[in-house]
Amino acid sequence: MSDAIRHRLTPLEKSERRLGFAMLAPAFLLLAAVVLYPIAELIRNSFHFNHLAQPWMGTPFVGFENYVKALGDDRFHEAVWHTLLYILVTVPGAVVIGLGLALLANQPFRVKWPVRLGLLLPWALPLVFAGLIFRWFFEYNQGIANAMLRGLGFEPLNWLTSPGLAFFAICLAIIWKSSSFVALVLLAGLQTIPKSFYEAAEVDGATKWQQFREITLPMLRPAIFVALIFRTITAIQTFDIPYAMTNGGPGNSTETLAMYIHKTTIDFLDLGYGSALAVLMFLVSAVITSLYLRHTRRDPGRH
Amino acid sequence: MKLLRNRRAMIILAGLIVAANGFFPALWILFTSFKTEVELMRVPITIIPQAPTIENYIRVFVDQPILRFLFNSVVVAVLSTLLCVTCSALAAYALVRLRLPGAGIILSVLLAIAMFPLISMMVPLFQVMRDLGLLNTWWALIFPHAVLSMPVCTLVLISFFQDIPRDLENAAMIDGCTRLGALWHVVIPPTAPGVFTAGILAFVNSWDEFLLALTLSPRVASRTLPVGITLYQGEFSFPWPIISAALIVAIVPICIVIAIFQERVVSGLTSGGVKG
Repeated sequence: MSDAIRHRLTPLEKSERRLGFAMLAPAFLLLAAVVLYPIAELIRNSFHFNHLAQPWMGTPFVGFENYVKALGDDRFHEAVWHTLLYILVTVPGAVVIGLGLALLANQPFRVKWPVRLGLLLPWALPLVFAGLIFRWFFEYNQGIANAMLRGLGFEPLNWLTSPGLAFFAICLAIIWKSSSFVALVLLAGLQTIPKSFYEAAEVDGATKWQQFREITLPMLRPAIFVALIFRTITAIQTFDIPYAMTNGGPGNSTETLAMYIHKTTIDFLDLGYGSALAVLMFLVSAVITSLYLRHTRRDPGRH
Repeated sequence: MKLLRNRRAMIILAGLIVAANGFFPALWILFTSFKTEVELMRVPITIIPQAPTIENYIRVFVDQPILRFLFNSVVVAVLSTLLCVTCSALAAYALVRLRLPGAGIILSVLLAIAMFPLISMMVPLFQVMRDLGLLNTWWALIFPHAVLSMPVCTLVLISFFQDIPRDLENAAMIDGCTRLGALWHVVIPPTAPGVFTAGILAFVNSWDEFLLALTLSPRVASRTLPVGITLYQGEFSFPWPIISAALIVAIVPICIVIAIFQERVVSGLTSGGVKG
């Protein structure tokens, strides 16, 4: 009986449903054209030989050859390792700095705009511009970093031409650029914590540090989680900032996976191999994206 | 009293740290853009330009097709924003209002597809656009850029649409409006801030995008600002004062946008992040 009722849709509901799917159509058509079809093409490509510089070879099916090649490709392994290092350094780095900025920004300011713009500007700046600006900071002769070292009586350093220092400089740029977005997310989280919690803790004689550890951090956990996932998804794809600062150098010492894929396909024109690398990268980020979606999944029709 | 004044000072100091952290790099570039090549060579380095010059700006506009880059960026950002917001608004409305079966799953699928990493789309998109003869055209960037912002726009719009009482549309429909008419006349006006927020986020995302712009529009005349400035080739070395001037030209429009709409941008960013 109840089943029969549930299945009988009124004409209004039927027409609403049709309209609903029609309204979803543009978004899904766009996704199909720009994402789904290219992804299918990518996977197909990864099983074929496809080298634009060797058109006479055609595009024969080669099975897993491109993937096997990746297993033995040292430069690929290094790129994966560098990407992992960037993730391990810049994700926690940005979250810690972002938390600091959020705590500083969560004050009863009389004039709010300088702080708000101070957090928005790094976010709004193109990544590649942040890279250019930090490259300028670390420039050997005229950069501000070496100017400060000289001022303190030290020898200037070859920031961008020695591997360890270049990695450090790039990490600093990434952390600066991404920590302000983290701060905005965490600031929104901070503002949902009721003031009364702190007042009660104050009455009980809790120190500021205890309040931070027992109230702020636990209440902020969901926001920190979102920030971590967001940062990780973008960190996997790190490209712009190292591209602008060192272009992967010196040698390949700061080259990320995304940069290697870009070079393989656009500079070396090896579309088949580049596609296989891109598939591997896609699999990794899919795992992380699914973690994020599991966290946020909810029914939009319900409040 | 003294304690209170100390507290005030601490708060101002906290604000100054945050503001300085955000503004410092842009300010440094601004100062650099007014310096001469000679002044840059000076040791110790100067902070405020000693003999401010606008020569760098003149050279940016005269020697480089920066107006062309600017024009490309504006066209791509505006058109991709319109496309993105239209698609997202229709989808968000359908998901919130039309009692679709499995709306939650549809949303997850939409988000999951739209969050595919750009770099894996870059290779096949390069091929597709090449086959279609769209490389170095605006279209090669407009469509992918629209998808880039679809997750955040959809989430922002969903959270705004949820706040509009259903009765408002029902009343409009009883008065003879169609569903789409109700969306346009009743739902969109009070959610205009939401639509606007989504639009700003989409605009900034497109304005800032680099990897696809670099790959799909490499020819000088079709470069966007980020690509055009990064690939700037000086005669001898990287000409920092001119680059700085170019960066300022590229940053100013986006600064104006976020300065005017700062509260909306913040609410949009965090509703996509925290609530979404």
